[in-house]
Amino acid sequence: MGTSRFAMRRVVVLSLVALFTITGTALFATGQPQRAAATAGQNLIILRNSDIVSLDPHGSNDSPSSAVRSLIYDTLVYFDEDMVMQPGLATEWNLVNATTWEFKLRRGVTFHDGTPFTAEAVKLSLDRVRDPGKASQRAFLFNMVNAVTVVDDFTVRVATDFPFVPILSHLAHDAAGIISPPALRAAGYDEVEPVGTGPFSFVSWNPGDEVVVARYAGFWGDAPTSDTVTFRVVPEESTRLALIERGDAHIAEIMQPASMARVEASRSMSLELFDSLSLNYIGFNVNKAPFDDVRVRQAVSMAIDRQSMIDGIVEGAGVTAIGTISERVFGFHPTLSSLPFDPARARQLLADAGLSRGFTTTLWTNDNPTRIAIAEIVQNNLAEVGITVNIEVLEWGAYLAQTAEGLHDMFILGWVTVTADADYGMYALLHSSNHGAAGNRSFFASARVDELLDLGRREANLAARERLYHEAQEILVNEAPMLNLYHPKWMIALANGVTGYAHHPDNTMLIRNVIVNR
Amino acid sequence: MSLGVYIARRLLQMIPVLLGVVFLVFSLLHLVPGDPAMIMAGEQASPVQLERMRERLGLNDPLHIQYLRYLGNALQGDLGSSVRNNRAVTQEIFTSRYWTTLQLATMSIMLAVFIGVTAGVVSAVWRHSLLDTGIMLVALFGLSMPSFWLGIMLIFWFSVQLFWLPAAGWGTLQQAVLPVITLGTAGAAVIARMTRSSMLEVIGQDYIRTARAKGVREAIVINKHALRNALIPVVTVVGLQFGFFLGGSVLTETVFAINGLGRLMVGAIAARDFPVVQGAVLVASVSFMVVNLVVDVTYRFLNKRIELS
Repeated sequence: MGTSRFAMRRVVVLSLVALFTITGTALFATGQPQRAAATAGQNLIILRNSDIVSLDPHGSNDSPSSAVRSLIYDTLVYFDEDMVMQPGLATEWNLVNATTWEFKLRRGVTFHDGTPFTAEAVKLSLDRVRDPGKASQRAFLFNMVNAVTVVDDFTVRVATDFPFVPILSHLAHDAAGIISPPALRAAGYDEVEPVGTGPFSFVSWNPGDEVVVARYAGFWGDAPTSDTVTFRVVPEESTRLALIERGDAHIAEIMQPASMARVEASRSMSLELFDSLSLNYIGFNVNKAPFDDVRVRQAVSMAIDRQSMIDGIVEGAGVTAIGTISERVFGFHPTLSSLPFDPARARQLLADAGLSRGFTTTLWTNDNPTRIAIAEIVQNNLAEVGITVNIEVLEWGAYLAQTAEGLHDMFILGWVTVTADADYGMYALLHSSNHGAAGNRSFFASARVDELLDLGRREANLAARERLYHEAQEILVNEAPMLNLYHPKWMIALANGVTGYAHHPDNTMLIRNVIVNR
Repeated sequence: MSLGVYIARRLLQMIPVLLGVVFLVFSLLHLVPGDPAMIMAGEQASPVQLERMRERLGLNDPLHIQYLRYLGNALQGDLGSSVRNNRAVTQEIFTSRYWTTLQLATMSIMLAVFIGVTAGVVSAVWRHSLLDTGIMLVALFGLSMPSFWLGIMLIFWFSVQLFWLPAAGWGTLQQAVLPVITLGTAGAAVIARMTRSSMLEVIGQDYIRTARAKGVREAIVINKHALRNALIPVVTVVGLQFGFFLGGSVLTETVFAINGLGRLMVGAIAARDFPVVQGAVLVASVSFMVVNLVVDVTYRFLNKRIELS
């Protein structure tokens, strides 16, 4: 009996093994299909840290999505990599009256579904993003628009509630991408089928894995060099670099400055750095002692060695910030310099403010590692001038809520001037009408700065408009409501033989002209 | 008690546990400090966007209404939708990610059991030999080695230097080799140590001495008399390991760019996408409970003397 039961068990075990093997194989058979065999021509493979969220221009506000959408959709105007405004789907534009812009549209353009491009598509697209029913995360870019009017098939007018010149920059944002009318009608408020007029048309998206686009033969501009472009999600940085080194991919984004050395040392790839529109800053609470005293804010600003901070935190891949906006933003003041790093002068200013024995304060951050590293450097630097800083790491929700209520002494946050226009980079952060959650968490208020920022929205003459922002930046350097730390750079690894790559300061990958020589 | 009744009873017992899990999962959103709407909408969100987020998530209703709604929907298989991309949470989990993780977990646990049980038995039979010391050293090494480090090293050697295997992805057998080794090794180490100590205990028992005294061949003594009884604690460990693997082997999935449940969960946490986090935790918990049930039933197969009660 013993042997027969033993034999039985062996049969059971064997059949279990067989079952596992079969299910294992079957599971694989039903898994994702093999990648399509490469066709002749250039198939560009780009590795990103995170997946796209939405291909609907009104759907999400993240940079991987924007990068793919910028290939699928065109905007009326756009900024080239040198941040010069260029005609896109509009060939010319001018101000009809103080609040109305008129755009002449490009003729002979077709959407990927064959629909001809006309003024109606512009109206439908821009009306949808503003529609409260759509509740787009990007409606804020267009909430000053009150009407989009079709004049004729190739003329459209955009009217704003108040004179608002930066609307052109907002229309260059990928949220203003023009979508095919049939796709829009089919979608309503739901996620739209990605159909635009851009150089690439949508092929497939396997969420969490990859997005593929292919060259659109009917594109109105110069044909792009690649037949297909694949954006693949590879969250681990060393794996992204391994794939580039193996020759499995062409372009990879780098998130950790520490990886730059590995890329530079490699024989199979090279490192490229590009300017950004981002800012890391420390906000003071100007309503709260001792930061209500401008001398104290200046002293703190002068006590912090920002160049060492850039070298330490982003390994040099950053630019010292003067104001809130970077060099690539319209309105940047090219000759202004920030308060220098000067601990002796900082001590003097503190003494003038009656704080010669220093003081104790609190610096808030969330659990972002970069911000915590910044906080530690600030703590060290300020200790040198007699200021004791306690760092408190807050949970994200509490952090946002309590800085919006003004419960902080100092905090660390970031801001991205997504429209590349000084209005977006200064109005929310510094205008007194935006105190708290709207962006001005320093609670700074200055009648003259308010006036300049309001005038900046109205002034159509670009040179005059630039001067308004320059004056505002000059005031702000001395008022020091925020300690603007640095603008980080975008870091990209390119496989050997990849040429023609450019990177937009808004983190869009400009790959229309990339050539792969292997 | 017959097996069928036992399983039915165990399934019924899962209901209160499930309710508890749903309650904890629901509480996730409300236990974090701060306004959940603001957490999800982010620092550049306007007050209007915040209000919309609150409405969308039903945060304006009283807490007990929100809980009942979540529970009711969950029972109907509706776990809400992602605040990031609006896709249904069940779709995010079950379209492919859950099955990918299931494949990875199944293959890894098979490798872990094969290596672990073999090494454990060999170690126990030739205990205190050089072989035993060697195997236990390797097992200790495998246990202590962080899996992401092992993964990165495997990619470096076998993918970049030797060019034998792909560095990332999931879908072909070649792509499975490195991740399964990465995940399976840690499990194998635990299983080997458990098998060894359990075997040693059993080998010291009287009935083994009796079997040997009767002149039963040593191979049969080990395979039949000893191993079968020694396997019971091992099955417990295997079940636990498999449960953890199913909950998503985040590090392995991240290193090898495998689009599975663990990565979905961690990505959702980073993006503060609460509905997805809640859904993934719920699915992982239920998987764990099912594995647990299977483990308990397996005891019975291994040793008929174990009462099902």
